[in-house]
Amino acid sequence: MGLARYVALRLGWAAAVSLVIVTVTFGLLAAAPNPSVQEAATQAALEGGDPQEAVERERQLRGLDEPLHVRYLDFLTSIYTLEWGWSEYRSQPVTAALLDAVWYTAQYSIPWTILTVLLGPLIGVYSAANMYTWRDHAATGFAFFGYAIPNFFFGIVLLLIFGVWLEWIPIVYRTDVPAVSLANARQLVVPVFVLVTGSIGAIMRVSRNESAAFRNATFMKTARAKGVSPLRAYAYHVMRPTLVPLSTTLVGQLLAIFLGSSLLVEVVFGIPGLGRLTFNALVAQDTNLVLGSTLLFTFLAVVGNLLEDLAFTVLDPRISYDDREL
Amino acid sequence: MTDDEPLLRVESLRTTFDTDAGELVAVDGVDFEVRAGETVCLVGESGSGKTVAVESITGLVDQPPGRIEGSVRFRGTELTDLPAEELRSHRGASIAYVFQNPQDALNHCYTVGWQVIEAVRVHEDVSKSAARARAIDLLDTVGLADPAGRMDAYPHQLSGGEKQRVMIAMALVTEPDLLVADEPTTALDVTVQAGILRLLDDLQAEYGMGVLFVTHDLATVSRIADRVVVLYAGKVMERGGVFDVFERPAHPYTRALLACLPGAGGVDAAGGAARGGIGGSLPDPTDPPDGCRFAPRCDHAVASCSVGDQPPAVELAEGHAVSCVHYDAGDDPAALSDVSRASAGSEPTSTEDAIDDE
Amino acid sequence: MSTDAERDADAGMDGPTRFDQVDWEAYADGRTAAVSINTALFALTVAPVLALAGYDWYAVGERAATFEALGRDAGLAWVFEPLGIDFALTIVDYAFGVTLLLFVWYLVVPLYQHPRITAYYWRRFRRNRPALVSLGWLSVVFVGGLLGPLVLNAPEQNVLAGHQPPVGLAVDEANVAQCVGEVVDGRCRGTWQYPLGTTRGGIGVFKGVVYGMTVSMQIAFITTTIVAGTGITVGTVSAYAGGWVDEIAMRAVDVVLSFPTLLFFLLILYVYGAGLGTFIVVFSAFGWGGTARYVRSKALSVSEEEFVTAGRLSGASTRRVVRRHVVPNTASSIITQLTLLIPGFLLAEAQLAFLGLGASGITSWGQLIAAGRSDLAFAPWIVLAPGIVLFLTILACNFLGDALLDAVDPEATTEADR
Repeated sequence: MGLARYVALRLGWAAAVSLVIVTVTFGLLAAAPNPSVQEAATQAALEGGDPQEAVERERQLRGLDEPLHVRYLDFLTSIYTLEWGWSEYRSQPVTAALLDAVWYTAQYSIPWTILTVLLGPLIGVYSAANMYTWRDHAATGFAFFGYAIPNFFFGIVLLLIFGVWLEWIPIVYRTDVPAVSLANARQLVVPVFVLVTGSIGAIMRVSRNESAAFRNATFMKTARAKGVSPLRAYAYHVMRPTLVPLSTTLVGQLLAIFLGSSLLVEVVFGIPGLGRLTFNALVAQDTNLVLGSTLLFTFLAVVGNLLEDLAFTVLDPRISYDDREL
Repeated sequence: MTDDEPLLRVESLRTTFDTDAGELVAVDGVDFEVRAGETVCLVGESGSGKTVAVESITGLVDQPPGRIEGSVRFRGTELTDLPAEELRSHRGASIAYVFQNPQDALNHCYTVGWQVIEAVRVHEDVSKSAARARAIDLLDTVGLADPAGRMDAYPHQLSGGEKQRVMIAMALVTEPDLLVADEPTTALDVTVQAGILRLLDDLQAEYGMGVLFVTHDLATVSRIADRVVVLYAGKVMERGGVFDVFERPAHPYTRALLACLPGAGGVDAAGGAARGGIGGSLPDPTDPPDGCRFAPRCDHAVASCSVGDQPPAVELAEGHAVSCVHYDAGDDPAALSDVSRASAGSEPTSTEDAIDDE
Repeated sequence: MSTDAERDADAGMDGPTRFDQVDWEAYADGRTAAVSINTALFALTVAPVLALAGYDWYAVGERAATFEALGRDAGLAWVFEPLGIDFALTIVDYAFGVTLLLFVWYLVVPLYQHPRITAYYWRRFRRNRPALVSLGWLSVVFVGGLLGPLVLNAPEQNVLAGHQPPVGLAVDEANVAQCVGEVVDGRCRGTWQYPLGTTRGGIGVFKGVVYGMTVSMQIAFITTTIVAGTGITVGTVSAYAGGWVDEIAMRAVDVVLSFPTLLFFLLILYVYGAGLGTFIVVFSAFGWGGTARYVRSKALSVSEEEFVTAGRLSGASTRRVVRRHVVPNTASSIITQLTLLIPGFLLAEAQLAFLGLGASGITSWGQLIAAGRSDLAFAPWIVLAPGIVLFLTILACNFLGDALLDAVDPEATTEADR
């Protein structure tokens, strides 16, 4: 099968996975007592009315008395047509609230992703090239440190040192600052730094170990025998093959960190991004917004996995699409 | 450089590795030379140090850390004195390599064309299109069918023989003076082997290169070599012209090797008895035996074989030297034949016993 | 590759001397009846734990403390009271007990049963100094977690003793409500009563850290056991059965891996409310995907090894081959991979606690950090102590995992290789 067909199949599978997740989410929500229904019941009881009646009225209002499969189909259609409902907590459509938040999240997550993807493999290959020297140990030590230190803890400490004691960076995040400006850069540098140190460690370790194997490969010897300079040999003959196994973990690692850390980094630094929005929605019990957020993250994960799979297939010319599992 | 001066002269080459298990001397005082236009075969079993020897010439060996001592003179220049950058300029330019396993020797991520072009552009400052044309030309020279089409193929889409031809093409980019081929046909089918050997032969005639051919296969040696150097455990046992070595093998190891050739018959020319293999195994490279390295496995070993250093090379005839006590002045090499017959009864004769020894 | 026990049995019997004469089926049948000593001892020691759990479940009310009730009903109060054992046990505690016993009988004791291999691994492991230090640190955490609650009383609130500095440090008197230690030059000094100072609520940070160790150990052991069990089962079965079983299993893994676990936990928290038990269940339920994939790829490569083919050719049953050949050969790599999973779980718990969404009713490192966040400027020890301990534990797990990888899988290049 050709590349096009493989991509199409993979896309189909990704859609299927997202469907499964959406269904499970629906099930979870449908099975749970709806807070507004309960509220209505409580209200009625307090006012001396009949809670049972209030419950039924409320359920009717919210369309909860429809048969399950109808609700499910409604749910599905609204999800896939991007009509994600109204957010009570934010008094705006869910999609609008999400877009607002994504804008802020993107401002730190895009630089973070770019830096990690660029620096991680580079440092890894550099480390492998200088294996067991102090450079290697330093890089590995740095990687371990970054990987091990909890992001939120590191963020707090850095905020204390650079924000409170040294006053080099603002403690409070300001949204009125233009996206491309020095002021914005100043307030984003520490969050991005914290995230990068966290993610780069893992990437760098993998790329170091993989490129260490390629360093001793016969084709490296061929390159050297051809008279290729060491720099070029590493850049082309080590880096490129390393990307193959690296690509299988790269997206996964980044996604995992993104999903987990974005929330915490935003809480610590006060950035009104996607993570914070989800968190606040949860606390405010805004069902629609919570759902919308969860789905957005999930779709991101599915797309990420898809990209990773495709990247892997494209990067290694030896892989025939017939052999590749879906 | 005069006509007498060999293209490559290696003297007392000694390559040591520092390993966890101690110091490992892979090549211990090896001498040989290659002249322009001639093919020298470096022969020995696996682990004899032949690969390390040829890779030490241009400092291609690296892992684990170690050092290279001795003299390697190429066209009059002492290579061991050169700084890394200058040494690198020789690689691929005047000294080119072809390796054993074409499967691994080509980078699986790039097309064949890309890799040949890389070889071209490293040494010549030409445009991309000119380099591409050159590459197609080279692929044609090495006998690759449809060279232009193959340029865009990936290594895994080529057969073993085709890949090896690509390797040779890359080696020929600058019309090198010396071609070092490290068991280039070992990993290939027998039918393909012949083609590659013929190709190397033609190329040598056309370019006038010196060829240093490493192998453990004596049949190949008999076909292509002008001169032979027999290595064992990092030391040279015997060296000489191919006819001398094959028809009048002097060293017991050489004889044993020849006796191992299928079809060598029950008894070899020097009267050594045939057996399933050579009993015993290579000595521990971190702790080599005193005296002659081959002594522990040699049927003709005497007490003086195991003392001191490897016996110094004795010149038997023009260009034919052997390192064995039985050829020292005062010793009678003919005794080798008698000794072998005398001890024929007491040798281990069964293959099974030989295997048990290992 | 037969085990020591099998080889011993072979040697002891006047059995067949030729390979093809061995009756594998007889062995297979014979073996299923016999139970290894590890399993027997495990069953023996886990029985009282399960019995206690059953008793707790059925006989003891929700509000009553387990041991108190036990003391009364079984007349063992005279044993428990002097020792101060009067606390309640939760499901998590029982699960922890079970997994601890599993760990002891199936991981620790086998080390003694196969001294040769253990000595070999230990020699290789020993060369890695950071790993040794890590092992030491993790032992401290382990022992602290196990014994801490027995030795120290639960941390209590005491607002008057809030914001005390750690021993050896001194802070401005104005920052504390009342100084437990001496006041010298207007600065309140720390005391040994609160070696690492106190939080705003007067909870001793040291005690909090120790109790946090217990929580961390529980999380580490229980989640890892569940993830290991599920992942290994799915992975090996998938690899060995192949075909459509493999396909379905791997699709399931895909789905599990795509689940944003943290968010799902938040969702469940929002909908149903959650304690430590729920946390553990959710995270193990969604955490086995990576392990299953890893085990499968390892099992596949082992299955391709010739000795497995040899086993099957001589008539060994599928089950036998999997149990005796595939699993032991992948075991060491799997253990390593699992060691590297633990930091993830600990981190997740800390993150949740920090957000105030953590399991309620427990003291964990994350909660301490959350508690101290607002006072960071003038009482940094509240955040620093648990934070550094968490950091060190995660670091130690990583070093340990790396060193295990080096000791156990020689072909993998790691940091300590040399």
